[in-house]
Amino acid sequence: MAFNEKLHWASFLALIAAFGWYFLSYPYQIIDTPAGVAAVAGMLVPVTIIIVVVMTATAVFLAIRSPKDANMKGDERERNFHIRGTHLAYYPLVIGMWGNMIAMFYRLSVAEHLNLLIATIVVAELIRVGSQLYYYRRGY
Amino acid sequence: MAKLPFNNDIKTLRFLSGEMTQGDLGDKVGVTRQTIAAIEQGKYSPSLEVAFRIARVFGKSVDAIFHWQDE
Repeated sequence: MAFNEKLHWASFLALIAAFGWYFLSYPYQIIDTPAGVAAVAGMLVPVTIIIVVVMTATAVFLAIRSPKDANMKGDERERNFHIRGTHLAYYPLVIGMWGNMIAMFYRLSVAEHLNLLIATIVVAELIRVGSQLYYYRRGY
Repeated sequence: MAKLPFNNDIKTLRFLSGEMTQGDLGDKVGVTRQTIAAIEQGKYSPSLEVAFRIARVFGKSVDAIFHWQDE
């Protein structure tokens, strides 16, 4: 398995773990109160820490195990995967943004909008990284 | 997978070049071992630059390695 593919797996799993915890633990009963907004901000801190720690630890571990692979920049096939993955992620991002704009007419709370935006970004990221993993596994 | 309209002799040429590994060829060309494997299997169409680099490693022309297959 290529170095960059391993990093993508770490990123994919960290995203699922961190935001899985976020969306399962969020106190939805206070979502339409100011405390709901504070909860979003407060819970994003550990989410960010989890992702940064997992990605840093994985990159360091893999680089120590295989320094040659770590020093090699992604080649043209991997850059192609990156472009295609980013392209695919654009669609859920746009749909999510439109969903959020439409939701404004239904007078959702600030925390509900924030969660909708976070969900949009998470889905787009999962599709971006997940599609690249699919391309890595397929080989082209 | 849409089959590429050309095949290649990279695997044979690697064998004839002292059983060069895919990793060795990848290092010489500047791509990963997995990319060489994908090119060999006809799964991935390399850029012209990578095709030329592969040809230079074996001291051959590009069309001596990659063969267009008539439809």
